[in-house]
Amino acid sequence: MPRAMTSARVRVAVLVAAGIALLSTSPTTQAPPAGSAPAPAFDISGYWTSPLHEDSMERGAGPEIADYGGFPISEAGRLFALSYDPSRLTLRHHQCDGYVMPYQLRALGNSRAWEERDPHTHTLVAIHWFSQTFEGKRTIWMDGRPHPPAYAAHTWMGFSTGRFVGNALEVRTTHLKQGWFRRNGLPESDQATTVEFFVRHGDHLIHTAVISDPVFLSEPLVRTTDFYRQPIDHQSWLFPCDDGEQILGRAPDDVPNYAFGQNPFVGEYSKKHQMPAIGQLGGVATMYPEIEARLRSARMGDGMEAARPTGPVVTSKAANPEPTDGDVHIWPLREKLYMLTGDGGNIVVQTGDEGAFVVDTGTGSLAARTIAAIRRLTDNPIQFIANTGFHSDRTGGNVALRAAGADPSLRGTFFSLQFRNAGSQATIIGHQNLQNRMSEAGMNSEGFPTDTYLEERRRTFHNGEAIEMMWQPNAITDGDSIVHFRRADVIVAGNVFTTTQYPFIDLAHGGSVAGEIRALNEILNRTVYQHQEEGGTIVVPGRGYVSDEHEVVEYRDMVVIVRDRIRALMKGGATLAQVKAARPTADYDARYGATTGRWTTDMFVEAVFRSLSDSQKQAK
Amino acid sequence: MKQVRWAALAALLIATTFGIVARAQRGGPPGPRTPQQAAPTDLTGYWVSLVTEDWRYRVVTPPKGDYTSVPLNPAGRKVADGWDPARDNAAGESCRAYGVGGVMRLPGRLHITWQDERTLKVETDYGSQTRLLSFTPPASAAPDWQGASLATWDRSEPVIGGGFFGPAPAAGGSLKVVTTGMKPGYLRKNGVPYSAGAVITEYFDRFNVPDSDPLLVVTTEIVDPTYLSQPFWTSTHFKRQADATGWNPTPCRAQ
Repeated sequence: MPRAMTSARVRVAVLVAAGIALLSTSPTTQAPPAGSAPAPAFDISGYWTSPLHEDSMERGAGPEIADYGGFPISEAGRLFALSYDPSRLTLRHHQCDGYVMPYQLRALGNSRAWEERDPHTHTLVAIHWFSQTFEGKRTIWMDGRPHPPAYAAHTWMGFSTGRFVGNALEVRTTHLKQGWFRRNGLPESDQATTVEFFVRHGDHLIHTAVISDPVFLSEPLVRTTDFYRQPIDHQSWLFPCDDGEQILGRAPDDVPNYAFGQNPFVGEYSKKHQMPAIGQLGGVATMYPEIEARLRSARMGDGMEAARPTGPVVTSKAANPEPTDGDVHIWPLREKLYMLTGDGGNIVVQTGDEGAFVVDTGTGSLAARTIAAIRRLTDNPIQFIANTGFHSDRTGGNVALRAAGADPSLRGTFFSLQFRNAGSQATIIGHQNLQNRMSEAGMNSEGFPTDTYLEERRRTFHNGEAIEMMWQPNAITDGDSIVHFRRADVIVAGNVFTTTQYPFIDLAHGGSVAGEIRALNEILNRTVYQHQEEGGTIVVPGRGYVSDEHEVVEYRDMVVIVRDRIRALMKGGATLAQVKAARPTADYDARYGATTGRWTTDMFVEAVFRSLSDSQKQAK
Repeated sequence: MKQVRWAALAALLIATTFGIVARAQRGGPPGPRTPQQAAPTDLTGYWVSLVTEDWRYRVVTPPKGDYTSVPLNPAGRKVADGWDPARDNAAGESCRAYGVGGVMRLPGRLHITWQDERTLKVETDYGSQTRLLSFTPPASAAPDWQGASLATWDRSEPVIGGGFFGPAPAAGGSLKVVTTGMKPGYLRKNGVPYSAGAVITEYFDRFNVPDSDPLLVVTTEIVDPTYLSQPFWTSTHFKRQADATGWNPTPCRAQ
């Protein structure tokens, strides 16, 4: 063999050896830099199908009525579910309700997951999961971004962030809408948060959800769901839904529901399955092994007392969505509209080529910061201030904001010939009754509306947008308005709608429960959802987080249902004390209730009671 | 030719040496570790089942013929429809629902310990059963309710690993258990059957839930062509307890 050829073979062998050595050593050099996120432990991408080998009735045809066994629900959760009438789904604003995560993941149907990578670094930015049923699309952010503030909007899928821990994908979710644990009325509140774990074993994906809900659960609910990887496209991904008229001629304040203890179907499950109520009606005890022995010795009716309010009075377990750091925070809504929050009541600012159009001014204790925040949004002056109500959380900053603004549209008019200072301050718009109430209350006249209206609506076209201000007679007071920015499609609801408390029905200033329901329905008459009762028209509550029609309809339902209960008790001859003792708000108190402060549960119940009494007197 | 052989030998030596050095640099142990030492997750302790799924089928004995959710084939349905708990009792088989195919779904507590460094022991208080999950292939024995379970640690690893082709195995892992050689039993207490020929594959995953108790999720796949028309999948979850609170051994009951 020629010497040159032998040397070449030696060189090749050494190169191979070096290559093998490199293959062995490279992992050390490929270790991720300190502090970076762990690399994905598995690939979740692909088509997934859940085999429905657990809870197939519930997840397929549907659960049985009043079957809550194994759910660690609170009294509020149980009473809400027992009050639920499935006919509620015939209401226009419920027909296309989406599924809330994680209920969505247990639904029948196909799923698809894919990764989103940074195009330059190829680091994992997000994992996307699409479920066919109700076209639920969620994004799990993997790039370390923070969750949005508590006053941001809630969605069916919530806001999720993830990280890989060991061999699992761990996901945290907040900002969920109110939805279902089970679609027989068992509710998951908008205060629920979840921690989830995904693990993959070959073509088998297991999803574990730990759901904490301070309103409707007493302990976290754990659910595990299996998926199997499909090698081909399911070719079935859509779930269209448009609402329509299902029951003609129904009154707009008709929300199907059962009074406490009056659900006629509660006993069906018990009878069919010979299941004592202590199991059927759920609660923490039903998910632990000891329930098996208890059920062996229980009689059929045992535990049925839980179908009525029996527990102690509770107060709101909801997190306060308003910042309390002494600053005014800006949150973009849509186009050139912003929500300012932090001064005790939400403020909305529209900017553009003309001056700023501001709706409500907060309590005024942070007025200087509110003005500074508006200056950050626009160089133009505050030109208009619209008030949705006369209470101090709507008008408290009127004087300061008015003084800080100017209304150029008044300069050079006949008006300015009559009044030397015309246009030197912002113009305040409100219903005439609002001005009357401010005057009666002895509020600073510098903050009174300077431009009032008397009937139906006030309209203007400002900053390239139609703005309507609509009177809501006898709702919170007799001078409330809602404001609709029509191009941006943002409705500012004032205290007619909040996410923080029962409606502050101010009987002494012309409020009524009927007017409040009418006002909420007026908002719902104007909203258009984008997809499955979500998105579309933005509704800014007087207090609380940015909403859409789903939050409004749940709130409307609550007011109607509480009214129905109190009205039924009154028909039975109950006194105010007896009505309060019956706890007609028992399923909502953990969300909105209060025993101290400016607006307690008792005050709300009394306001509804007296409002209904007044209506009865007027009818006679 | 001789030079080539020497070069090949040298190449192998270099590769082996660098490989060992590299593994040592990655922190790998010099010798084999026992399964207990190599455990990527700690499954030991007391665990209480949280019965939040298939609730009615697990906390009470469902009526005969109610096998909703289980993909039984006609032979399986025939057996389920003929369930007779009195017959099971008379035959001394009151533990048929407490075998490996059904016991993890029953409402109870688990106590998981290392029997030795190669065997995990899973005891149940409900029905007082003991499962031995061995990391060594178990010797053949007469079938019993829990069968022979072969355990391995299951980690997410690249198919082609090392060097240019992929990263080191992912951190963490699961316990994988494959069980065969058991007596026929019931998937549910009302006589929904699995056969002696079933192959039962389980994954035990522990999740450390932030600000809460750890969870154990046991994912089960039962392949049984005798009675099932397709693999039967369930996932069953347990919450870790700090101690033996609630541990209440009970005997098997046929109904």
